[in-house]
Amino acid sequence: MTDYLFETENLTYSYSTRQPRPSLDSVNIRIRRGVRTAILGANGAGKSTLFYHFNGIFKPVSGTVKYAGKPLDYSRNALSELRNDISVVVQNPDEQIFSATVEEDIAFGPMSAGIDKEETERRIQDSLFKVGMEEYRSRPTIQLSYGQRKRVAFAGALAINPKVLVLDEPTAGLDPQMSQEVIELVEQLCVSGTTVIISTHDVDLAYAWADEIHVLREGNLIYSGEPESFFADYSAVASAGLVLPHTFSINNSVQGICGGRAEPYPRTNSQILCKMLPEGSRAGKIRMIPVTDSVPDSGDEGISSGIYGSVTRRLFKLAGREPDFHFNAIEYCLMEAIGGKDSVLYFDAPLKDRILEIIGRMEAFGRKIEVVM
Amino acid sequence: MSEETQMDTLAYSSRMLSWAPLGKFLFVIAILIVNIVTSSMMVPFVTLAIGLSMMASSTNFKIPFFVGLALAEAILILAIGSGMISITGDKADPAIWDTHLLWFDIYMTHESFNKAWLVMFRGVAGMSVMISFATSTPIPHLSQALKQIHMPREVSELIVLIYRYGFLLLERMDAMWEAAHCRMGFNGFMNTMRTTASIAVGIFTSSSNLADKAQIALDCRNYQGYFPIYNTPPRLGIKWIAVTVIAFVLIYLFGMYTEDWIDMAELFFGGSL
Amino acid sequence: MTVIQTEGITYYYEGAEKPSMDGVSITIRKGVKTVILGANGAGKSTLFYHFNGVVKPKEGVVKVMGEPVSYRRKGLRQLRSRVAVVLQNPDDQIFGQTVEADVGYGPRNMKLSEEEVKSRVEEALFQTGLGELRGKNTMQLSYGQRKRLALAGALAMKPEVLVMDEPTAGLDPQMALELMELAEQLHNRGTTIVISTHDVDLAYAWADEIHVLKRGKLIYSGSSEDFYRNPAEVHSTGVMQPSMFVMNENLSAMRGTDPSPYPRTESQLVSKMASGPKGRLTLVAVKSAADCNIERFADGTKTGVYGTAVRRLVRDAGIKTDFGFNGFESCIRECLAGRDSVLLCDEDCIGLAESKIRDLLAFGSDIKYTISGPDGSQRLS
Repeated sequence: MTDYLFETENLTYSYSTRQPRPSLDSVNIRIRRGVRTAILGANGAGKSTLFYHFNGIFKPVSGTVKYAGKPLDYSRNALSELRNDISVVVQNPDEQIFSATVEEDIAFGPMSAGIDKEETERRIQDSLFKVGMEEYRSRPTIQLSYGQRKRVAFAGALAINPKVLVLDEPTAGLDPQMSQEVIELVEQLCVSGTTVIISTHDVDLAYAWADEIHVLREGNLIYSGEPESFFADYSAVASAGLVLPHTFSINNSVQGICGGRAEPYPRTNSQILCKMLPEGSRAGKIRMIPVTDSVPDSGDEGISSGIYGSVTRRLFKLAGREPDFHFNAIEYCLMEAIGGKDSVLYFDAPLKDRILEIIGRMEAFGRKIEVVM
Repeated sequence: MSEETQMDTLAYSSRMLSWAPLGKFLFVIAILIVNIVTSSMMVPFVTLAIGLSMMASSTNFKIPFFVGLALAEAILILAIGSGMISITGDKADPAIWDTHLLWFDIYMTHESFNKAWLVMFRGVAGMSVMISFATSTPIPHLSQALKQIHMPREVSELIVLIYRYGFLLLERMDAMWEAAHCRMGFNGFMNTMRTTASIAVGIFTSSSNLADKAQIALDCRNYQGYFPIYNTPPRLGIKWIAVTVIAFVLIYLFGMYTEDWIDMAELFFGGSL
Repeated sequence: MTVIQTEGITYYYEGAEKPSMDGVSITIRKGVKTVILGANGAGKSTLFYHFNGVVKPKEGVVKVMGEPVSYRRKGLRQLRSRVAVVLQNPDDQIFGQTVEADVGYGPRNMKLSEEEVKSRVEEALFQTGLGELRGKNTMQLSYGQRKRLALAGALAMKPEVLVMDEPTAGLDPQMALELMELAEQLHNRGTTIVISTHDVDLAYAWADEIHVLKRGKLIYSGSSEDFYRNPAEVHSTGVMQPSMFVMNENLSAMRGTDPSPYPRTESQLVSKMASGPKGRLTLVAVKSAADCNIERFADGTKTGVYGTAVRRLVRDAGIKTDFGFNGFESCIRECLAGRDSVLLCDEDCIGLAESKIRDLLAFGSDIKYTISGPDGSQRLS
C-alpha cells in the first residue's frame, strides 16, 4: 500500500460566498511520503489555498483532508501538533518574519514548540548554517536584502525540524545562484528524510527536480503523476497557463526531425546532450570525493572540479579554494564527462547515494558514466 | 534608507547594545534629574561630558543626518528661549540692560542672565544624554525591558509588531514616493496633493493586506499566542542601581559645592558691574 | 546613437557604509535591446533611478540624448516624459482608483489636455490588453493584471526610453512570454527598451547587449557570449550561464565544431542539432477578424498568433488557435519537424518574423515562407 502523506477528498473551498467559482473545486489530491512533489499552476490557480489546507489554516467548505491517513482534527491542540510536523514557507518573506533580529526570528518556532534553550541554540546554529547566514545572526531583519530575508524565512522553517516542508515559490525573486543553492538545500532535506513539496510556475525547475507533479487550473486538479505525460498534452499545458520545459520541448523537436524515440525523456541539459552523443565517442570519468570535516586534495591538477552540498561549500569557502563549478555541479560534471573530459566532484558524504542515482540515470540516455570514488 | 532605519542600524551597531536597557534608562533619567535639581552651572558641564563620552563610546558620535538637523533646531529654539528668559528679568532687581525695542520691554538682570545660561546648558547637556540612550537602544530591546518591569505582555508585543510592520510600511512608502516621481506625481500643487493622498491610500491598503497575510503566516509558524524571547537583554542588576545612585549623589554634591563657581553675568559684564 | 550615458556616477544612500553606485559609466544605445544583469542588491534599481533623475548622483554626470540632465523642475519634467521607469512591484506604483484613472495618472500629471490624456489612455490600454478592465477597481486586479497596469501607466507617457525592472518576475510563464512579445513590438516601433532581470535564459534570448553590475560597479558591457564565456566572472556576479549557451558549448565540444554561431532560442539550437525537410510557414498579416479565416488551410495545420493586437482579436472573435502564446517559436518548431504552419501576425510583426526566419539561416535552417497580406496578396520568400 502506498504511504500517502496527504489525501484530500472532494476538497472544496471558497473565501467568500460571493465568489463566482470556488477557489478549490472538488480536489482529490494524494501526496506521497518521501516523493519529490511539485504543484504547478498559474497565479490564482489555487496552489496556496491548497497548502493552507495541509496545515489546517483553512477548513474545507466541504470534503475532507487527511494527514498520514487520519482526517485533520481542527482542535487547537491538534493543529498545534500538526504544525510542528508541517512547515509552510510563504512566498513573501516579509509576511513570514516577525521578529526584529534574525536569531529571534529563527528561535520563534522552536521556542513556541516548547523546546529548551540549549536545543534551540543548536537549531539556530544549524539552520543558519544550512542557509549560509551565520554571520547575520544578530542582525536586525529589516536591514537584510530580499534574498537574505528569503533565506531567514527558510531557516525559520527548518528550525522546527519539520517532517514535511512546503515551499511556495521558493526561487521567486532570487538571483540564479541563490536559486541553485535553495534547490541544493532542498535535495539535502529530501535525502535526510523530509518530504518537500514545492509550488511553482517555473516549469523548468519543476521538471528537473520533481518525481511527481500535480497541476491545478482555476481551482481544479487537472493532473497528477509523472511530469512527461502531462507535458505531452500540449493543449492541457497551454490551458493551465504554463509552457513546456525547454528540455522537454527540445527533445520533442529533435525527435520530430530525426525520428527515433522520444523516450527516455531527458529532464536536464546533460541528458539531452547524452542522447545526441555520437557513437563511439569516449566519455570522461567523474571522481567523487566525500567531504566531512576538511577539504581533501584531489591530487588531480588540470581537471575541472565542482562542489555539492552545504558542508562542502562552507569548507571550500573557509579554505579559500575556488572550484570551477560552484553551483549545479553534478550537471556540469556530467557535461564534462559527456564531452570526454574527467572531472572531480566534492560532495557532502550523506548525499552520495543521491548523486550516484543521478549519474546512473545517464545510462538510460546511452552512456554509462564511470565513477571513481 | 529612511530615518528610522538609520536610527535602528545605528542602535544595533552600538557598543552599548548589550548593556541592560533598563539600567541605561534609569541612569539617563537619574542624570537628567540631577541635571535639573542642582543650580550649579558646573553640573550641566558634567552631564554634557557624560553624554558626549557615552555617545563617543557607543557610536563614535554618529547620528543620522535628520536627527542631527532636528538637534540643531532644538538647540536653536533653546537659544531663543534662553534669550527670552535673559531679557525678562524681575523688575525688582537691578538691571544690567534695560531698553525698549518697539513694543517690547527688555529688562535683563544679573539673575535672569545667569538663569538663561543655565537653561541653555542644561538643555544641551540633557539632549546629549538622551541621544546616547536613543542611539544605543533598539525598540525591541526597550519592549523587552518593559516586560521586565511587568508591563502587560500585550503592550510589549504590540510594540514589537508595530515596530516591525512600521518599517515595512515605511519601505513601501519610500518605493511609492519614488514611483510617483517616475510618473511626475509632484508636478504642481494639485498633483502633489493628489499623489500624497494616493500614497496614503496605498499605505493603508497594504497595511491591511499585510495584517491579513501576517495572520496566516503566524499560523503557519504555529503561533501560540505569545512571542517567546530567545535572547533576553541583561536585567537591571544591582550594579546598575549602584552606579546610578552613586552618580546621582556625586553629581548632586558636586553641584552643591560648585554652586557659585561660575557667574556668567560677571564673565560677560564683569567690568560694568 | 546614444540615448542615455552616465559618466562615473557614484551614489550612496544616507547612512549606508558602501556606495550603491560606484563610478558607473554606462552607455545605452538607441534601438538596442539592453539588459542589465546582476545579483540581488547589485544596484540595478539605483541605476534606473539615475536614468530618470529620481536620484541625483553624488558624483558624475548623467546625459540623456547627449545633454546633461538638468535637475530643475522643468528639466526633470521633460526628462521623465522621455524616460519612463516601471518598477518591479506593481503595488508600489498604483495611484488611481480605477484602471483608467491609474493609466491617466502620468499624462494628467504632465498637464496634457484631457483629449490627449484620453487618447493616450486608450492606446495604452489596448497595447496591454486591459481594455475590458478599464472601469475595474485597481484593488481587485490579479497580480498579472496589476503588472500590466504598471506598464500601461508608463506607456501612456509615450516615453522614448522604457526602463523595466524585473518585468517578468512573479508572472506566469505564458504571461511572461506575452509581455516580452509586447516589449519586442514596442522596440520595433522605435522605443528603446532597457530591462533588468534575474532570468538569464530570458535575457540571453532577448538582449542585443548586456551590462553587468556587481556591488554597485559596472563590470561588463557588451555581447552576452563574451560575458558567459568566462565562468569565473559569471560566478562572481551571482548569475549562471543560460541553458542555451551551456548546451551549445557542450554540443560543440562534443562534435569538435566551432561554437559560433551562438543559438539563443530553442529553434536556433534545434536547427544546429538536427536537420530534415522543413515545412512552409505562412505569415498572415491580420487587420481584422476576417483575415483570420484559418479554415482555408489544410486540416491539421497548426496555427499560432504573434502580436498583441492579433491575440486580442482572436480571443474576442473566439477563433481557436493552437499556439496562443510564443507563437513564432512554436510555429517554427512545427516547420522544423517538416509540417506546415500558419502564423497570424500583427502587421508590424511581419517584418520581425521575417528577420527572425533569416536569422535561422546561419544555424542551418532555411524555412520557406509565404506572406499573405490583408488585401489577399501573396508573397513568397
